[in-house]
Amino acid sequence: MMEHEERYEDLTALFEAQDEALQSEAFVTRVMTPINKRSRWRTPLLFGAGGIGIGAALSQISGVLDLLKSRTPELDITFDTVPAAEMSFDMQSIWIVAAVVIMVACAAIVATERA
Amino acid sequence: MEITDLDLARGAASGQEAAFEALVRRYQGTVRGVTRRLAPRPVEADDLAQAAFLTAWRKIGTYRGGSFKAWLCTIAYREFLQARRKQKPEVEFDEGAHVIAFDASAARMADHLDLDRALKTLPENQRICVVLCVAAGLSHAEVAGATGFPLGTVKSHVNRGVAALRKQLAPDNVA
Repeated sequence: MMEHEERYEDLTALFEAQDEALQSEAFVTRVMTPINKRSRWRTPLLFGAGGIGIGAALSQISGVLDLLKSRTPELDITFDTVPAAEMSFDMQSIWIVAAVVIMVACAAIVATERA
Repeated sequence: MEITDLDLARGAASGQEAAFEALVRRYQGTVRGVTRRLAPRPVEADDLAQAAFLTAWRKIGTYRGGSFKAWLCTIAYREFLQARRKQKPEVEFDEGAHVIAFDASAARMADHLDLDRALKTLPENQRICVVLCVAAGLSHAEVAGATGFPLGTVKSHVNRGVAALRKQLAPDNVA
């Protein structure tokens, strides 16, 4: 590094003087404006779309279960024999799992975009 | 105590725009300087510099430490290459427009002009190596990594470029 500086320091000083003169608040604003704008709408949009998608998928679960029941009568036994309290707990769990899935999916999208 | 580049980059990677803004403030001069010395016109150069910072924002998660300046200058150099591929004819270097952006005394402006003029005369690969190594302060190895030139070629380009610049900037040769 020292060798590098000693060899070119006369020219480097000239270049640095030029670079110093290029400092501009307008350029910082120019760079940051699209970043700030994008961040403002992107997160709500991403999470909103993800939430709607997951919600739509969950709303179809009961229909799918009914379909499964009609096609495979054996499943009735399983569902009918689950105690009511346990069943409601499971429904809460589904919502918790769905919320976690939404958050993880969105975080994964953001992380992938950054990588 | 000044916050390190790595800390700011980690902040930016976690979505803190203020951290990235601090990095833009810190390196705007270097990046704009690099793009102005590589691109034919200042307007294009600032577009390239902006594109480089926006790419850096998107890719900030891939920065794993080391010289942030080298990482950023590599991105700026690649933006320059991409833009050049899209451009068909080589545009004449607009010296007059280059000078306007510098807010400096007449004497310093003359120095800048001489330096710009001298840089312009170098063969392109030599100029690229001089700009990245001497002007932006990257090591020979970092320039080799950024450009894909062999290390020996980078050293050779830099040595010849520096010698040519010194010769042209010598008092006898300055107009």
